[in-house]
Amino acid sequence: MFGYVRPSPGRLTQEEQELFSSAYCGLCHTLHRRYGAAARMILNYDLTFLAILLSDGKACSSCQRRCIAHPIQKRTCGKPTAALDTAADMSVILMWWQLQDGVADHGFWSGLKYKAASLFLRRAYQKARLAQPAFDQNTREQLQALDALERSECASIDRPADTFALLLSGAAEVVEDATRRRVLRQMFYHLGRWIYLTDAADDLKKDLRSGSYNPLALRFTHCQGVLTPESREALAETMDRSIEQMAAAFELADFGCWTPIIRSIVYEGMYGVGRAVLDGTFHQREKRENRATLHERQEQKYERSLSGIGCLQYRK
Amino acid sequence: MSDPYQVLGVSSTASDEEIKKAYRQLARKYHPDNYHDNPLADLAQERMKEINEAYETIQEQRRGHTSGGRPASGNASSYGYGSGYGAGYGTGGYANYGYAGNQEFLRVRMAIQQGNLNLAEELLNASSNHGAEWNFLKGSVCYRRGWMDEARRYIQTAVQLEPNNPEYLRALDMVEGRSGTYRPEGYSNIHTASCDPNCIRCCTTWMCCNLLGGGGYVWCC
Repeated sequence: MFGYVRPSPGRLTQEEQELFSSAYCGLCHTLHRRYGAAARMILNYDLTFLAILLSDGKACSSCQRRCIAHPIQKRTCGKPTAALDTAADMSVILMWWQLQDGVADHGFWSGLKYKAASLFLRRAYQKARLAQPAFDQNTREQLQALDALERSECASIDRPADTFALLLSGAAEVVEDATRRRVLRQMFYHLGRWIYLTDAADDLKKDLRSGSYNPLALRFTHCQGVLTPESREALAETMDRSIEQMAAAFELADFGCWTPIIRSIVYEGMYGVGRAVLDGTFHQREKRENRATLHERQEQKYERSLSGIGCLQYRK
Repeated sequence: MSDPYQVLGVSSTASDEEIKKAYRQLARKYHPDNYHDNPLADLAQERMKEINEAYETIQEQRRGHTSGGRPASGNASSYGYGSGYGAGYGTGGYANYGYAGNQEFLRVRMAIQQGNLNLAEELLNASSNHGAEWNFLKGSVCYRRGWMDEARRYIQTAVQLEPNNPEYLRALDMVEGRSGTYRPEGYSNIHTASCDPNCIRCCTTWMCCNLLGGGGYVWCC
């Protein structure tokens, strides 16, 4: 889970934007409450989306709270719910196994940071495993399957993506309603597939340098980590299919107050992020977005209009 | 039975025109083309049935209230979204059409229709006939599983082997994203990669704005 999933900028109203931040803050506070301050470090947008999908959207109550990241101005924060608790447990489990993967993939020295982080997360993980034993078991199994595919240098992109997709779709099993569970299973499956492919595209150059496994390098033609136009199109197309499957599934369940947020993610946000990753501009964009708090957005709009003027002058 | 107006998401005082619009939008959303070979096709089909019934109920209610009754110009089936689409949600249904192809593959098609993908895969792997239909069915199984890249490759092979088969061509349109997927009102048909040539100018303008340090985001088309 790497923070790729987010609503498209400018699509949400002020209220919806605040609702999205309230989910983010709600998950952060839940992580703190259940697992201590250090667990907050694992928070990202993908985990927030997981929490949103697991919520039923009936009660969207929030409160105003301060926190360590925002000590002066109070922020809107989602009230504790069972869905947030579950999402926090799963977040810890996912991060723990991601760290273990990091430890296994790196040598003694380069793996030190993963070991240090594991040390911080160990107690949290032990607690989370007790809370979500089935999810933990499934995660471990799918990561083992992924490891086997990596070792055999599997040239299919669907097979390794399938393991991560099945891993994430395990999150749907906590949902009681059978129809909703089916819908979420499908959404999580394609969310996992899309995240896996997006991450592989994001890491392609780095993996080629370090000699790590990357299915895109084996499946597509590329020149030093830059995909040929045909390959890029084929990859983008297969990513589109997953977003479409998510959108089609999304329309079959009621997500209450989260509906406009999820809609903006599955009909726009994911395409934009995918595009930025394929263009290699994602991390620049991310820095910009992180800088942009709600208040700064106004300033940014002003800046944008100024740069529009600059642009015209430049074109002359 | 639930309130038909609620099913269509309109108020009971909405005009006929508004109701028709709401109905068409929902029918476009749950259209079989959007759920072809989708593991959730049965849910979409159910939803479609609800919408059709709600629309017909409202039509009947309103016809009953207006004296003399208007001609049934807005009947549900006149939009082509009627119950006739029932079979359109999956690779299934072929058997019902009086399938005349290879008997060996009939079982595979039935397995896919029942959602038993492991059986379908097993039967396909045991088959020695790797012709166009085998590739098509293999592609269908991959598609149902969500293995979109492999699905595309199998279906492309099927079309290469039998370029005029309408069933394979339709599947190719689907795996290559040409079957016009639904977007909600206000959302344009954007994709991860493709940028319409007509749009390149606006893209470069935007990119230039971005390069100059603005917080602008590039949304193509």
